[in-house]
Amino acid sequence: MLSYIIRRVLQMIPTLFGVMLLVFCLFSVFGGDPSLVLAGKHMTPATLANVRAQLGLDQPLTTQFMIFVKQVFTLDFGTSWGSQQPVRDVLASRVGPSLTLSGALLVVDLLLAVPLAALVAYFRGGLTDRIVTICCTLAMSISALVYIVAGQYLLAYKWGLFPVGGWGHGFWTNLLIYVPLPMLMGLMVSLGPDIRFYRSFFVEEMNHDYVRTARAKGLSEQKVMLKHVLRNALIPVVTTVMMSLPYLLIGALVLESFFQIPGMGNEVVRAMNNSDFPIIKAITVYVALATMVFNLLADLIYKLIDPRVQLK
Amino acid sequence: MNMYKAALAALLGVSALTAHADPDPDKVLRASFNAPETGYDPAKVSDVYSHGVGENIFEPLLTYDYVARPAKLIPNVVTALPEVSADGSTYIFHLRHGIYFSPDPIFKGVKRELTAADAAYGLKRLADPAVASPSNYLVLGHFVGVDELADAAGKTGGKFDYDKVVEGIKAVDRYTLQLKVKTPYPGLQYILAMPHTSPQAREVIEGYASNTPAHPVGTGPYMLQDWKPGVKTVLIYNPNFRHEVFNFQPAADDAEGQRVAKEMNGKTYPQIGRIEVTVFTEEQPMWLQFKSQQLDELYGVPQPLIRGVLTIDPNNPRRAKIKDEYAKIGLKLSRALDPEITYFSFNGKDPILGGLGKPQIALRRAIAMSFDEQSAMRDIRRNNAVRVEYITPPGVQGHNPHFRMFFPYNRPQAQALLDQFGYKIGADGYRTTPDGKPFTIDFLSNEGAIGRQWDEYWQEAFDVLKLRVSFRHVAFNDLLKAMRSCTYGITGAAWIADYPDGDNFQMLMWSKNIGAENVSCYSSPRYDKLYEQSQQLHAGPERDKLYDAMNKVVSEDSAWAPGETRFRNRMMQPWVLGDEVHPIFQTSWRFTDIQKK
Repeated sequence: MLSYIIRRVLQMIPTLFGVMLLVFCLFSVFGGDPSLVLAGKHMTPATLANVRAQLGLDQPLTTQFMIFVKQVFTLDFGTSWGSQQPVRDVLASRVGPSLTLSGALLVVDLLLAVPLAALVAYFRGGLTDRIVTICCTLAMSISALVYIVAGQYLLAYKWGLFPVGGWGHGFWTNLLIYVPLPMLMGLMVSLGPDIRFYRSFFVEEMNHDYVRTARAKGLSEQKVMLKHVLRNALIPVVTTVMMSLPYLLIGALVLESFFQIPGMGNEVVRAMNNSDFPIIKAITVYVALATMVFNLLADLIYKLIDPRVQLK
Repeated sequence: MNMYKAALAALLGVSALTAHADPDPDKVLRASFNAPETGYDPAKVSDVYSHGVGENIFEPLLTYDYVARPAKLIPNVVTALPEVSADGSTYIFHLRHGIYFSPDPIFKGVKRELTAADAAYGLKRLADPAVASPSNYLVLGHFVGVDELADAAGKTGGKFDYDKVVEGIKAVDRYTLQLKVKTPYPGLQYILAMPHTSPQAREVIEGYASNTPAHPVGTGPYMLQDWKPGVKTVLIYNPNFRHEVFNFQPAADDAEGQRVAKEMNGKTYPQIGRIEVTVFTEEQPMWLQFKSQQLDELYGVPQPLIRGVLTIDPNNPRRAKIKDEYAKIGLKLSRALDPEITYFSFNGKDPILGGLGKPQIALRRAIAMSFDEQSAMRDIRRNNAVRVEYITPPGVQGHNPHFRMFFPYNRPQAQALLDQFGYKIGADGYRTTPDGKPFTIDFLSNEGAIGRQWDEYWQEAFDVLKLRVSFRHVAFNDLLKAMRSCTYGITGAAWIADYPDGDNFQMLMWSKNIGAENVSCYSSPRYDKLYEQSQQLHAGPERDKLYDAMNKVVSEDSAWAPGETRFRNRMMQPWVLGDEVHPIFQTSWRFTDIQKK
């Protein structure tokens, strides 16, 4: 297993290099010149040249790329071009709120989606299955923005069940007061596809010979479902969840913008609107790194859960 | 601080202290911004939101009377407006004694008094190439010896010699600042009221050199407590701030000013103990939070909400009121024209549209006359604007409300004009140049939804004139690039006052500003001559005559198509007192109070 891990880690290097090249080309070659905005409305050619020099944009592209490579390996992306704050500090302050919202959303989504998926898979083809499937399809057909706008208006403004938006101090205050409404809106969007997705895992497992054998042996349905089907169906679920973990870092772009949550999603939107390349580059690289690491972890966990899996 | 108060109480008696009590920390004003700020180093920022916060932290030498209209300069941290030498080249400012910076660890517990050296440092910093200030135009080219300092810094690896004494910006003694200009600088007093030029404590800037935008330390009524860029800013009262009492003297016919005076006069400045500013990038949550009383003040009513919130007289957009349903619950509105212009610019260097030849002028004029600006203003701006008729907008020194810059909207006349100057309709149904060549007008537009809305109105105008047009939708930075490099045909542009003097607008068409502020790339010897004459004059009837003549030149050359000046609509909860939109200040927090029943 150790040699497998070493091999995978080594494979990350060219992958990361590819990501860096892509990110660099996207933002530094094709992304336009942010110094035009940053130089202000009284910009003269001299001011513009000075701002470009300050940002390092006057350097040849190869030099700029080497600086970027150095930034990736030192994990120091310099200063935000928008707020002029160290990128490291900005991102560090944004991870907490994003994880609070997205983490809560992921946990609640799993707690609801997995049992519901198992339930409808068990009753597949029946009325329960059809009703849940129709509800999921309906929920998936409606835009996230509709949920947010309607939810904020009805649940927060009209009925006063939640604050319209905002973010306070302290994990529990945020989790209990400010997270529930955006989380609910997030669940409306994610539950439908997740239930249908996980349902397919359960249905596939339930069609395997070993389930038939278990039933033939006279095991109760409860035991068949919980001991055999659930355990095996959870393998792809775990993999899917592991793959989605890196995206918790990016946060929920729309939710954070609408609910004034000072998370990574909000920062991504601000950075994109302001051509704040250091922030965008840093987030892209961090997410790419996290994706590779969690991919590896997912494979290792897969092996732990299912010893039949060969790591090659 | 408490010991200082106790000693003062012993000397002056409790009543004096009671009268000069600090603001109540429980008085919290929750305000909104419609877009993110970028930081709180006044030399490094140029957006209105950053300055909106900055004007509560920093104090420039001069400021504006909060209730005087039009905006009127008054001394701020100086004892009086400057003494000006007979030749108009030297300005002497005397700083008030006993003005202190807000407490900061850099000062090691000592109260730090404002001095002339701080004022000189704040100004010189704008010229420092290492700061890369977007406001460097305020000092470069104006003050004796400063350009040389900046040039020397550029040549010696960026080290700006702040210690070198130059006549242009000089601390004569602890409380006396001398400014000496190379040539007349009519806007000088106005720039000294801009937050960018505020005095700075050098040890603060050097102490926080790696991150000055997050460490603003000024002498203003508030100081920064917390800042989450683009999300939230919290200001608290500066305990070192001098105790002053509001004494507004508005004009007798200024109803809003009278209200402010009634609500605030006699109270200690400032009244609010804590200000929390939240940035909203979406309109709905901002509006719902305001309606559900989670916000006390809306910086501005977003354009999409205007029809739902305000009733604006379509025949006179200056007449507007809050809809009855909101007035009934006591919501308040303060409204003023922003000191800005928006306009559509013809590129003076475009091979089809540019130049001062009669056919080119006719083409530009016909296009401008065909644009249904009134309908666009009604549908896109929701009537929340007035048409631009003068380069210098209303509320800015030098504006002439009687001047009409644009030819009236008249499509048949516009078509006839093109016919007259030889723009014949070709076999393909589109007009050709007078020498018979087909052409396409390059219309540069913002890639956002609003840009496309404008395009629809413009398309209609071009269709009527049978002119072929190609719309190019680009990102904002590419739009700026094209404007600065004169590589477009027509585009929308806007300019908001840095200071309320006409020079700040009339310079938009000066040919020496091509590549900078003159995004029209307009070059007219007649205009240039008039503008250069106007630069020698201070505001007054003589300069106004020159401004009229300059506007006439631009009108005759049809260098622009009409745009608008928009209103800023600020809304407040019933318990917010003293709040009024000021034409130059971005925020009024320091002048307001909260009185909940």
